[in-house]
Formats: sequence, structure tokens, C-alpha cells
Amino acid sequence: MKNQNINYNQDYKYGFTTEIENIKAPKGLSEKTIKFISKIKKEPKWMLDWRLKAFNRLKVSKEPDWQKPKFPKIDYQNLYYYSAPKSMKDKPKSLDEVDPKLIETYNKLGIPLNEQKKLSGIAVDAVFDSVSVATTFKDELTKKGIIFCPISEAIQKHPDLVKKYLGSVIPISDHYFATLNSAVFTDGSFVYIPPNTKCPMELSTYFRINASETGQFERTLIIADKGSYVSYLEGCTAPMRDENQLHAANVELIALDDAEIKYSTVQNWYPGDKNGVGGIYNFVTKRGACRGKNSKISWTQVETGSAITWKYPSCILQGDNSVGEFYSIAITNNHQKADTGTKMIHLGKNTKSKIISKGISAGKADNTYRGLVDIGRKALNSRNYTQCDSLLMGNKCGAHTVPYIKNKNSSSTIEHEATTSKINEEQLFYCNQRGLNQEEAVSLIVNGFCKDVLQQLPMEFAVEAQKLVGISLEGSVG
Amino acid sequence: MLNFKINSNAIEKIGNFNAKEKEFRLKNLDSFNKNGFPNKKSEDWKFSDLREIVSKNFKKLDLKVVKTDAQKIKFIQEFDHNYIIVTNGELTSSNFKFEEKNKIKVQNYLNNNFINKQENNPLINLNHALSDKGYFLEVEENYKLKKILVIYNLYTNNLNQNILNCKNKIKIGKNSELHILEYTINRSKKNFFNNIYENVVLEQSAIYKNICIYNEKSFGYFHKYSSNKLDTKSSSTFFIFPSGLKFNKLDLEFDLNGENSECNLQAASYLNHDDHQEIKTRINHFAPNCKSFQKVKNVLDSESKGIYQGKIFVKDIAQKTDAYQLSKAILLNDDSEFNSKPELEIYADDVKCSHGSSSGSIDEDSIFYLMSRGLNRQEAIKLLVEGFLSEITNEIKSNSIKNFIIGKLEEQLHEHKKN
Repeated sequence: MKNQNINYNQDYKYGFTTEIENIKAPKGLSEKTIKFISKIKKEPKWMLDWRLKAFNRLKVSKEPDWQKPKFPKIDYQNLYYYSAPKSMKDKPKSLDEVDPKLIETYNKLGIPLNEQKKLSGIAVDAVFDSVSVATTFKDELTKKGIIFCPISEAIQKHPDLVKKYLGSVIPISDHYFATLNSAVFTDGSFVYIPPNTKCPMELSTYFRINASETGQFERTLIIADKGSYVSYLEGCTAPMRDENQLHAANVELIALDDAEIKYSTVQNWYPGDKNGVGGIYNFVTKRGACRGKNSKISWTQVETGSAITWKYPSCILQGDNSVGEFYSIAITNNHQKADTGTKMIHLGKNTKSKIISKGISAGKADNTYRGLVDIGRKALNSRNYTQCDSLLMGNKCGAHTVPYIKNKNSSSTIEHEATTSKINEEQLFYCNQRGLNQEEAVSLIVNGFCKDVLQQLPMEFAVEAQKLVGISLEGSVG
Repeated sequence: MLNFKINSNAIEKIGNFNAKEKEFRLKNLDSFNKNGFPNKKSEDWKFSDLREIVSKNFKKLDLKVVKTDAQKIKFIQEFDHNYIIVTNGELTSSNFKFEEKNKIKVQNYLNNNFINKQENNPLINLNHALSDKGYFLEVEENYKLKKILVIYNLYTNNLNQNILNCKNKIKIGKNSELHILEYTINRSKKNFFNNIYENVVLEQSAIYKNICIYNEKSFGYFHKYSSNKLDTKSSSTFFIFPSGLKFNKLDLEFDLNGENSECNLQAASYLNHDDHQEIKTRINHFAPNCKSFQKVKNVLDSESKGIYQGKIFVKDIAQKTDAYQLSKAILLNDDSEFNSKPELEIYADDVKCSHGSSSGSIDEDSIFYLMSRGLNRQEAIKLLVEGFLSEITNEIKSNSIKNFIIGKLEEQLHEHKKN
């Protein structure tokens, strides 16, 4: 096999930084910082109290350490917890008022807001660092009664909904990073779909970590009321930097009777360089509750970035006949470490869940699937099917599977299977023989390996994700 | 709440030891006292909260050495065998009438390995600190035993809230072969705890087979840690039929140190009442071209709880590994519970590793089919359960032993149904 010569500087095409003046909260984690964030967001008192409650809880809780990838100690006092583009202080009324530099950044990222507004049919709630810049397609959504806005706006305009649902899936005392997020979250998206409404377009948010030493603490809350449907896309890119940046987002989904939420993520944050220096720590808590009967939550994720990923999008299947799905591709290369999986907690009768996880490790990376399937005593006639496959490239990387399977009643069925293997030499040979070079062949085979998951992605993401799979593995074969 | 702290003079009561051994025992006792019995906060005991189980069922733990007189036992008549009798963990008699002389050594086990390895399992600490009995069995090089060796594990009726700590060692020389049937006879009607530490060493091309069965319902709480070290081309096979124990945790660790070594583990259990059983395995593939195979089947009735925690570890140099792991469980009752954690940790790329785990109820269609053939529901279920478990028993090669095991399993099934 020949060694591919790769220009390392071109690996990460989103590695640039826009210089924009930032307003920063006082450095460090303290009551003062939280009050500052709350004040600058013009939050009501109940919200501040909620944050302080989380902060008090944080004082007594400890960082989790059971995950496989360990990380260097984070100095929480050396981080900025809030930074917003300065020109955002007085909110722009339209796109024209937005800082041209911001618009330029989005153009580089491939989100031409102006064009995209009409052409792609996606409403983009672009988050630049911490404050939502512009929300498009608002009118069309408003007509349907759909609320899609930054969560800071929702706190002011729809306090009843936020009060009712915020923290109801991920309580503030959940675990260290979720609690941290509850105390200091700056912004994120809020979606409410009224009863019997099908959201006419895919809702999408692009996150972007920009200011140096700023952890990004996003909070997303999606509520699908009775009989509604929504598909939500989340995609991430971040500039190239040397220091490790912490990202601890919380995402809460709530599906009421007959509602369906589809949540898709493509994550391509800076993974650190070839030697494992730098990169993002992605410690995300994502959880959905199927509260109502016949409700459905489906998670799809393509994880290719970040130095360390801990992420377990979960479903709590409370309502009878509810369905939870989890489709995941995790690709790790060089020194990346991913510990990802899901939790399916069956509480209602006739609940179903399906888990398809594909892990690919190359270079010196470690990839772990960690999942829980728990069928409770009252979850009669429930069903779970789990499949997790791992692909290894080279003998310096690792692939691990850690499933926890609990069955507490006799009418439910759980099936779990997992395999680990390497790329079949014969398949490679066949592709080579047909004129594909080594990398194209690997990309093709890996795309085939991931097909079950890729086809779950909405159209807008599917193409990008396929390319990403190939790009992520560049330089790993030869 | 039971006080788990054990006074250091308990060691002196066992016997007089030299300075090195005393230090080793004291150190381990300290570790145990620090941690106490493991509870579910510890990852390895997540599904078996031993601290709770012990405090619920034991008023005290008697460390006193139980004096036992030689007792008569009923020998197995179905097939010829060599035997050793182990009473309450202590070697009491042995008979190798079918074998050549000087090929097999059996004696009381004296530990002389006092290397302080940090143990994560408090029960191993406890064993290291207080073990006072056990056997050492050694087969010389190039000798294949002609008949199976039956180890009669007898628990006498004067056991009452006792805790036994035994240490056994089995060593099989180059090109030798040993088959063992571990057969447990229980006469105690009171609770007792048995904490066993076993060390098995297989030299080059050695073959070891172990079948383990419990004859009758027991009030014993068993924990057994077994460390198996396999050299080049050696092979180890385990058949486990553990049923009817109040608490049973088998913690089996296999180190495949030599190339082309092989390990095979199969278990079938029928759990009833409030039986609690955990099988935990860790198979370390340290060398290339090794094979491992695990199949664990559980049938759970009443309020029983079954657990399977299996881990396959493949080191980066262990290319061409073939590792397989399967766990299947049938739940017959809504109060029963089955938990499993089949784990893979793999650092080599040219491997074939897979695991599967399933749990569920008996297939209604199969029951319907059998009922349409004239069986009543109870009979149909019994037949299906027997069929489910027989997949394991059928793997036993010797017919006489297979029939003996099948007979014993049927007795268990029948007895449980009666109760």
C-alpha cells in the first residue's frame, strides 16, 4: 500500500477565526458570573433563581469519571462563560443590520443566509458563539403557530412553556456537566409545535464556537404537542485552535400524544491536530421524553469531530406504544476519543426501541459504544433491537462495546448483537481493480458500512455527511 | 446492620505465620475492612449488591474454623471415576485408583505467593487475608488421566452463619489432560458463605475440562474467583450448571497467554424462588491466533435474578483472534429479572469478535404447537425449557456423564415445579 501525501493544513477547512469584538462575562465560575449572564439576557427573576439553584447543586457534585476517555483537568475558573458579538447588543431588526463580518463567516461556512432564506426551505437559527444572530422564515412558521426562536427570547415571551418544560427531562441535579449547563447556559434554540401541526420545513441550527477560551453552553428545548411532527437539524463546525475548548450542551425533547420528533446531528468540530493537540471536548447531554401515547423520538447522529466526545442521546419511553430510535455513526481518527451511545428506558406498555450504532476507528483513536436498555416491570410487551458494529483500521486503535441490558418482565424481548472486524481485503481489492484508489475505495466501503444510518438523515444532511465520512478518514489508510 | 469490620486477631486464630505471610494477610484485611462487602456502586457488582444481600441474610459472620469429622457420602454410581472429597473446603480424602502412581499430586494447599497485587475485588482481599484451607492438585507432564476426577464438595450440617475462605490450585503439566466434575453436596440447612479463590495453570498443550453441578438446593452463598492461565496450544473447557443457590457469583478470568490457546465456556441454569446468580467472565486475548467461545443460557422463574457480565479483551498484538459470546435468557415470570453486560474491548484490527444477547419470553407459537399436539401448557413449557438448556448439555462428549447431568437437571426442574 502506498503512502498518501496529504497537505495537513487543508484537512480542516472550517479552521478560521473571525475577529469580532466580544463582550465577555467576568472570568471564572461564580454567582457573579451567573448574575451577569442573567442580567445581560434580561431574564426574569425565576430564571435567575433556577440558575442559582443549579449553581448550588454544582458545588456539591463531582465530574463524572466512568467514561473510557479521560481528559486533563478543566480549570473552570479560567473560562469565560459568556461572550457575545458586540454588535448584537441592540438586536438587529433585519439581516441588513447584522455585522457584515458575521455574514462573511456564515458564507465561508456555507450558510448564505440571504439566499438560503428562500431557496433551501430551511429556517436557520444561526448561533454565533452564544447569541442567536438572525432567525429566518419566522413569518411562515408564525402562521402555523410554530415557535422557533432563541431560548433567551422564549424565556421572555413564552415563560409558561419554558417554566413547564425546562429541566423536566434533564433535571438540574442530573450530572456535573448538565448542572453546569443549567447554571451558565447562554443561548440555544426553542421550538414549540402546536397540536396537530406538521412543521413544513426542517428546522436547523448551526453552532459555532468562536471566541478563544469560551466554553459554549447551549440549551435546546423542543416540545412537540399532541399529534405534531418536527424534524430538527443540528450541525457544527468550529475554528482551529490549540487550547481545548469545553462544550457542554443540554438538549431536551418532549413528545406528547401521537407526536414525533426527529433530531439529526452532524458534528464536525475541531478534533485536534495529528498529534492529538487541541480539539474540542464535547460533553453533551441529550435526552428525549416520549410523554404521550404513540409518540416517537428518533435520534440520528454523525460524529466525526471533537477530541473527546461523551454523548448519550436517550429516550425515556413513558407513554404506551411509544417508540425510540437511535442511529449513530461515530468516526474517530488520529488521537480522537469517542464514548457514545444511548439509553432506552422503557416504562410504558408496548414500547419499542431500535439502536443502530456504527463505530469506525483509525489511527490511534478509541471508539466506545456504551448503551443501556432498561425494560421496567410495567413495560409489558416491549421490544428492543440493538445492533452495534465496529470497524477497525490499523492496530493502534481501539473499538469497545459496553452495553447494559436489563429485562424485568417476561413479555418483553431484547435482542442485542455486536461485531468487530476490519475492512475486508477482498472488497478493497475489488474496488482497486475497478480503478478506485485506496482512499476512494475505503470511503466507498465505509459509506456502505454506514448506510443504515446515513439513509436516516434528511436530504439536506445526507450529501454532506457522506463527504464527511470520506474526509474524516483521509490519511488513515496506506 | 451487620458490622463488616474484622479484627486483625482473626488472622492469629487461623495459625502462626511467618512475617512475610502475616504482612500479606494483614494488608489484605486492611483493604477489606476499608471497603467492606462490595455494593452496587462498584461497577463489577452493579447488578449484585452483595452488601445488601449479606446484611439481609446474615446476623453475624462466624469466622471460626468449623471442625468436621469424616462423613459418609453417596458416591456417583453412573460411571467410574477417581475422586477427592473436600469437606467445608478442606481436603479430607482422595482416591486415584484408576491412574498410574506418582503422576498426580494432591495435597493441602499452602500459599507461598505473597506478591501484593492491588485487587479491586474486596472478596479476594478477604480470601487472601483469611484463607485457611483448600487443595493443590498437580498433574505431571505427558499424562492423560484415564478416568474423570470427581471433586465432591461437601457442606456439613453444622455450618451456621459461617464464612469459609478456601484457596485451590490446579496445575496441569505439558501435554497432560485432566477432566474434572465438581459435584456439590449440601447438608447444611442454615445460611453460610463460601468464598473461593482458585488458580488454574495450564502448561503447553495441556487440556483441562471442568463440569460443575450442584446436586440440591442449598442455603449457601457462593463467590468464586477463578484465574486461569493458558500457555501455548492449551485448551480449557468449562460447563457450568449452577442452580438452586441463594446467591452465586462466578468470576472467571482467562488469560490466553500462549499462541493457539483456546477457551470454551458454556453455562445453563434454571433459576427459581429468589435465587440470585451472576456469571462474570473476562477473557484476555494476550497472544495471536487464540480462540474463545462463550455461551450462557438462563431460564428464570419466580423472583429469581440472573446476571451475565462477560468481557472480551483483545490486546493489540493478538491478531487473528476469534472470540464469540452469546447470552440467551428466558423469563417465565414477571417478577424475574435478567441483566446482562456483554462487553468488548478490542485493540487489534484483524480479529473476528462478536457478541449477542437476547432475553424474552417463551415463544407463544411453540407453546401453541405443542398444545395442539396434546400437551398441556405446563408440559409444553417444561419441554421447551429442557430443549433450550439441552443445547448446552449436548455439547458434553462422554455419554455417561452427559446422561448423568441431564438427569440431575431434570431433577432440579421437577423439584422446582413441585415447590
